[in-house]
Amino acid sequence: MVDTQTLTLVLAEPFMQRALIGGLLTGALGGLLGSVAVLRELSFFSDALGHSALLGITVGILIGVNPTLVLIPFAVLFALLVNQLVEKSSLPTDALLNIVYSTSLAAAILFLSLVESYRGGIRQLLFGDILGVSSLDLIVIGMLLAAALIYLSLSMRAQVLLTLNQDLAGAVGVQTRWHRLAFIVLLAVVVAVSIKAVGVLLISAFVVIPSCAGRLLCRRFPVYVFVSSILGGTCALLGLLASGLTNLPSGPSVVMVQFLGFLIALLLSSRLFRRLSTPEPEPQA
Amino acid sequence: MPDPVVVVRDLSVERSGRLAVEQVSFELQGESETAVVGPNGAGKSTLVAALLGLLPRKHGEVRILGQQLSPNGDLPGAIRSQIAYVPQSLALQGRFPLSVAEFVGFGFDPPGPRWPWQQHQKRKAAVEKALDRTGCLDLRNRLLSELSGGQLKRVMLSFCVVRPRQLLVLDEAQAGLDVPSNERFQQLLLELRRQEGWTVLHVSHDLDMVRRSSDQVLGLNRRLCCSGSPDHTLTPERLIDLYGPHMVPYRHQCHG
Repeated sequence: MVDTQTLTLVLAEPFMQRALIGGLLTGALGGLLGSVAVLRELSFFSDALGHSALLGITVGILIGVNPTLVLIPFAVLFALLVNQLVEKSSLPTDALLNIVYSTSLAAAILFLSLVESYRGGIRQLLFGDILGVSSLDLIVIGMLLAAALIYLSLSMRAQVLLTLNQDLAGAVGVQTRWHRLAFIVLLAVVVAVSIKAVGVLLISAFVVIPSCAGRLLCRRFPVYVFVSSILGGTCALLGLLASGLTNLPSGPSVVMVQFLGFLIALLLSSRLFRRLSTPEPEPQA
Repeated sequence: MPDPVVVVRDLSVERSGRLAVEQVSFELQGESETAVVGPNGAGKSTLVAALLGLLPRKHGEVRILGQQLSPNGDLPGAIRSQIAYVPQSLALQGRFPLSVAEFVGFGFDPPGPRWPWQQHQKRKAAVEKALDRTGCLDLRNRLLSELSGGQLKRVMLSFCVVRPRQLLVLDEAQAGLDVPSNERFQQLLLELRRQEGWTVLHVSHDLDMVRRSSDQVLGLNRRLCCSGSPDHTLTPERLIDLYGPHMVPYRHQCHG
């Protein structure tokens, strides 16, 4: 545990300030897209994509290109491939995702074992390196957050109807195929960009936990999306500060704070809490 | 005689690699109610999906309000906004953070991208009116996932009535409803149809209800086996042709 004076000094460092802003933006972005992904049962997709991204990073190392540059096209390709497989195959989506992600993970580990110089960096890939976030990373994450906000705001009707019933959405004029693909590609890009900060193993927590907490608390869709995003950003910020105070790894610290937030949401939404705070209305016939 | 609202000519549709609907032709006249009946797997939902442009056609032509449905299922926005659809169910697994009023509000918005705050006041007023007409006003702040089956179906009718439309398509909308809820839904549908001047196409297994409410019946078993008025179509012989000999014990469902 470090003292507050040391923490103040650390917080004054540009790398730490970038880390905090990066965490805030990544957390908010995860919560924002997670709010729709969770309702559309795409939680496992972000997990599978995170694990498969390791192959993209490995390919980058093998061909001598910055892995971050390879990651985005790889993630988009993965998303399109999975989408095609889901559409064309009669197998369940979770089984297909499992096949694709375990195969790409296995291939990534095999390739990584061939690259002597990168063995030391595997821990950073798995758990992320929020302190290594650059100014360029911040600009990319910020632009993605703005793009995701605009897209989800403009297509809220399409997103909700598509989630509720694809035929209903199509019947009232939603371009179902286009919106499904656009959302998956956006989610893939966000996962790819966030991996540097969050790591392969913990990326799905950024997508799933804040939105599940928001889902427990909210009764209106725009409020739910907003609360999920705010929870994602706040938990990331608090987790990073906790990590700075305790000298513990940043990614896992953020996930533990997210889990704490989820437990609080669970408590607030529980029947017991609601009974204590307001009298329960009569059930409708 | 006014132009029909829907014209289907020689429609064939493939589903899962087999011909699910074959050479089906019919017309829906304005403000009429048509029921599609037939055994499970007869292609009823496939027919509806192809008519709405949700499935590609292998062959044939579909015209809605005078406009031809394109091969990839596209219709101009002005025509699309004249169509309402009630599916069998909604994916409301777990706690779905969407209120009844919000859902009905999505029925008010025309197709295409728009900011959530656009036409807020107009939408709010239209939603209140629609919920009032369907007896669902007291449900407006409830979550969609908290509703009973009967309440959910009435809210789906609110979604349809929140803006003027001409064509209403229902795909086994009464599936899973108990007898009182079914009766209430039917009564409400009949009232709204008369008030709104809807042309209705519905898929149903409830032959008693079809007899009472429909102007036209389409008996489908991949091909159109019979069509016409309920009295003409729901005869014991035609039902046995349509459903097979196991239909015999249910002859009380038809005149005979």
